[in-house]
Parts: sequence; structure tokens; C-alpha cells
Amino acid sequence: MHYRFRALLPALCSVAWLGTTGAFAQAPANVAKTTAAAKVTENKAWTPPRTADGKPDLQGVWSNATNVPLERPAEGRGGRARGPAQPGTAADVHYDLSQYGLDRAHSKVAEDDRTSLVTTPDGRIPPRLPEAQQRAAARAAFTREHQWDGPETRPLSERCILWPSEGPPMLSPGYNSNVQIVQGPGYVVIEQEMIHDARIIPTDGRPHLAANVRQWMGDSTGHWEGDTLVVDTTNFTDKTAFQGSTDTLHVVERFTRVANDTLQYEFTVEDPHTWAQPWSAKTFWTKTDDHIYEYACQEGNHGMANNLSGARAVERQAEEAARKQSK
Amino acid sequence: MRNQFQTAGTAGVWALLALAALPVAAQTAYRAPRMADGHANLNGIWQVMNTANWDLRGHAAAMGRVVALGSEDAMPPGLGVIEGGEEIPYLPAAMAKREQNYNNRLKDDPEVKCYLPGVPRATYMPYPFQIVQSTKTIMFSYEYAGAVRVINMDKPTKSPADSWMGWSNGHWEGDTLVIDVTGFNEDSWLDRVGDYHSDALHVVERYTPRSAETMNYEATIEDSKVFSRPWKISMPLYRHVEKNAQLLEFKCVEFVEELLYGPLRKKPRANP
Repeated sequence: MHYRFRALLPALCSVAWLGTTGAFAQAPANVAKTTAAAKVTENKAWTPPRTADGKPDLQGVWSNATNVPLERPAEGRGGRARGPAQPGTAADVHYDLSQYGLDRAHSKVAEDDRTSLVTTPDGRIPPRLPEAQQRAAARAAFTREHQWDGPETRPLSERCILWPSEGPPMLSPGYNSNVQIVQGPGYVVIEQEMIHDARIIPTDGRPHLAANVRQWMGDSTGHWEGDTLVVDTTNFTDKTAFQGSTDTLHVVERFTRVANDTLQYEFTVEDPHTWAQPWSAKTFWTKTDDHIYEYACQEGNHGMANNLSGARAVERQAEEAARKQSK
Repeated sequence: MRNQFQTAGTAGVWALLALAALPVAAQTAYRAPRMADGHANLNGIWQVMNTANWDLRGHAAAMGRVVALGSEDAMPPGLGVIEGGEEIPYLPAAMAKREQNYNNRLKDDPEVKCYLPGVPRATYMPYPFQIVQSTKTIMFSYEYAGAVRVINMDKPTKSPADSWMGWSNGHWEGDTLVIDVTGFNEDSWLDRVGDYHSDALHVVERYTPRSAETMNYEATIEDSKVFSRPWKISMPLYRHVEKNAQLLEFKCVEFVEELLYGPLRKKPRANP
């Protein structure tokens, strides 16, 4: 992680300089000029290229960076809309400053003028069930109390176990938003740069793993519906929570190549212990010629040891101060 | 009598040579199933059945490193995988580091810390790996630590940065997949007894189908900073033939956190 970041620092500096000259008054050049949604409607007759064995060819390196927030920002939160507002949305929407930050100014971003990735009518994730709200509150309280106790109470990304965006469902990690798809007979592999996890998805109709085999990223099986790859994932653990979910999370993802350079990614999630009904989201991935680099996270993780030893030092200082005061 | 013995000996040698030649002939005669693009089909879940990860050399069984683990940690014996000899051709100046690695292996072996395994070690770790083969790209996905390699089968490209798993350009020589790997950092090891390399490592791997359910694996290892000449390891790979075989998650970071960060906890772990 640290290597890639360092390599990009000079680039970051030049972006900061450009920023001061007002070069970003317009949309950055790396944002595609035709919206992905427009491609879907314009390209109705378009059919995706095929692999040697006749399946739709989704292969290549894709950027899943996006400037669209997962949920539509609530009314009245300042800022300026980038695209035409949709009926019933706030005209004045503050998006995300990091769109001009390290990654999104450097990687390709599909033009997308929607106001949320979530496709519910109000662009918001349905409210969590009371049991899910209680769970989230208890989790948050525990974390506040114990966040520096040891590695287990640090975020999964800091532990180099899983990036919160990895899913499934997969969202943009904010930087290094690169995904590579490779297809072999009976399998689709999806490698996410963050953090070098390859999802190997069999498309041979096999059942899911036994219920007692649980995995951080669940167990994915796939099948083709026309030109769309449909991936079904269950067998999650209770150690991850997607938007507050539990180990009964069920994810269905739909991958459709809608143009040579655009892949439509949709997902539907359900969890009887978290939401009263399923909800869905949609985003667009853009083809890039860039490589996936090795994101060696654990191997360079000085952050965990530094954070914990820092926390212990703070505790020692507080103890010393208390001792001095009591004298 | 002496002559007779020699004759008998020579005949014996010829018989042995003839026997040895048989499997070779059988190997070259094997023709792998084809992909739609005409190349040999190497797709599948593969694993070695040897103790190379413990020590590349031939070795007798030996006491393990952790007393509490008893026979579970004892080193299993193995015939060795180094071709044409039992020794790795270290430069004299490189032996000291090997010695130091061996003595500190319980602390310094990257495998102990759940670090990426590097190449060729990834191949002979005691975990399966899966090959997903396409025309321009072949994905190697390893169960251990979720390590992954993307093999570029298109025009060869130059490594943009050093990494644990290296930079892989592949091509076909008949049914053999040949992968040229460069761009390594100096941090991975070759086995649990401290055999190592530098960032000058260059590995050429050869994967050759030898039957429906086995492949030959060869790796030529070249590193002018550590070895006096290129040397080669070879071993068979076996296909996982069980129904619905699949790689499972082995995200080992959580299993090494106590080892790496235990002393930095607020309170010692109740059940270490």
C-alpha cells in the first residue's frame, strides 16, 4: 500500500498546484464525456464481444471509481450539483471533494449524473430494523470503549484483512479503484487491487458451501442470464457488516458489459436481521489500460504496531501524570 | 570374472536407462486437452505432494521448531526437488545470510508472518492454487494468504515496480506454459530453512501437462547476487479431483496478530 502511495506523491503535488490555478473549474479530462446510462439506452443493439467459448467477454482491467455517492445526500447539505438534477432531488448537492483528490483525478471515472448509486425512489438505503439499530449502537459503543485495546478492535482495513469496499457487494475503495476480470472455462475471476483478493466464481451450477463454512467474503457462485453474469453470495461471517448487516446477508450481483469501455454493475442485498426489504444499487465501471499493482498490505503494515504502541504510550503518560498529581 | 561383472553391470545400466526412458517417452507422448483457442488446457486446482516448503534439499525427518506442537511441527522427510544435486549453489559471501536465516527462521520466515510467498515458493506451499486460463491473461490464485498473479500472455511487458509475487510474462512452447518472472523484491524466502534470494532474482517456470491429472513443474532460479550459477527445481503437480473442489479463504493475518502485536495489547490475551 505504502509503495504505491509514495509513488503517487509527486503526482499529488502537481494536482495541488493545478488546483490553485483553477484548472478544475470544469469536469476533469479523465471523466468520460458520455454518461454510462446514456450508453445503456443508446447501445440497445450493441452486443458484447465473446470469449473463445462463447460467453460474453467481461475481461480486462476496470476502474470502479465513481463521483456518485452511495446514498443521495440529505436535503440542504450545501455544495453544487455537477450534473442535471433529477426530479425530486436537491438541486444543490455537495458531492465529494475527493473527486479532485489523489485517485479520482488520476483514474478513469465513468460519467454518471445520478445523485445516488442506491436505486430506491429516495436514493437512500431503507431504514434498519430495530434489532439492527440496537446491534449497530452496541457495536459503536464497544468500539468507542475498546478501539485501542488490540488488533481485533481496529478496522479490518488497518488490520490488512479486508478493505471495506471489497464486499461483496463491491464498491469503489476511493483509491486504487481497479478491478481485473479473467474468464476461464466454467469460472470468472475478479481480482480487486484493494487488497489483492481474487474472487473465483464457478459458473457450473454447483451449490453453495455447507452452512458451517463461513468466509470473510462469503461464498460466490455464478450463472449467465443472457449477456449478464449473475453472482449469488452467501456464507458470510458475523465479523463483517455491510451497512450493518449480519452473517445472514445475501448478495446478488449482476455484471453486464453495456459498451466496449463500460461495465454496468448492479447489486441487490437482503438480510432478514437488518432490513425489512431488499434494496439495490447500480454503478458503472470504466475500462482502463492500466495494470493492477500488487497491494502488499500486511507485509508493510507498520501502522498497526505504531498505533497500538502509541496508545500504550498515551496510557503510560496518563498514569504518570496521575501519579504526579497525587503526590 | 571381473569382465563378466562389467558386462553384467553394463547390461544392467542399459536396462535401467531403458526403464528411465520409458516415462519420458510417455510424457512427451501425452497431449493435453485443448482450450477453444487451441492452447493446452491447464485450468484446474493444483497442489504439490512433497515437503519442498520445509527444505528444497533432500532431508530426513527432524525435530520441529515449537516444542509445544510435538510431532505436529516435526519436519516430515523428503527426497528433495533440486535437479542434479543436493546443494544450492550459494556464492561464498551469501552463505552467512542463509545461516542467519536458518538460526532465526522461527522469527524471520515470511510465512510465519503471513506475508506473500513469492515465486517459486507459492507453487509448493502446502495449499492448493487455481489456474484460470484465458487467451491473453492467465490468473494464478493461491489459497495461502490470497496471493495472486496475473500472467501476461500478450506482448511481454517490463516490470513497473518490484513486488513480492514478481512480474510474469508467459508464452507457450508446445503444450508447456513458460513464465518468465522478474521484478522481485528481496523479501520472500524459498523454504522454511532460510533459503533466500535477492532483488536480482529471475525465475523461469515451466508447466507441462503429463497426464489428465498431473503436470510437471520446473523452475530455473537465477540470481547473480546470491548464487554462482542458475539452478533448477522440479516436481509434479497434482490436480484436485474431488467433486466441487474449490479454494477456500486462508486469510492468515488474523492468525498472526497475537504473534506480531500481542505485547502491544492493553491487556494480554486471555487464551493465547
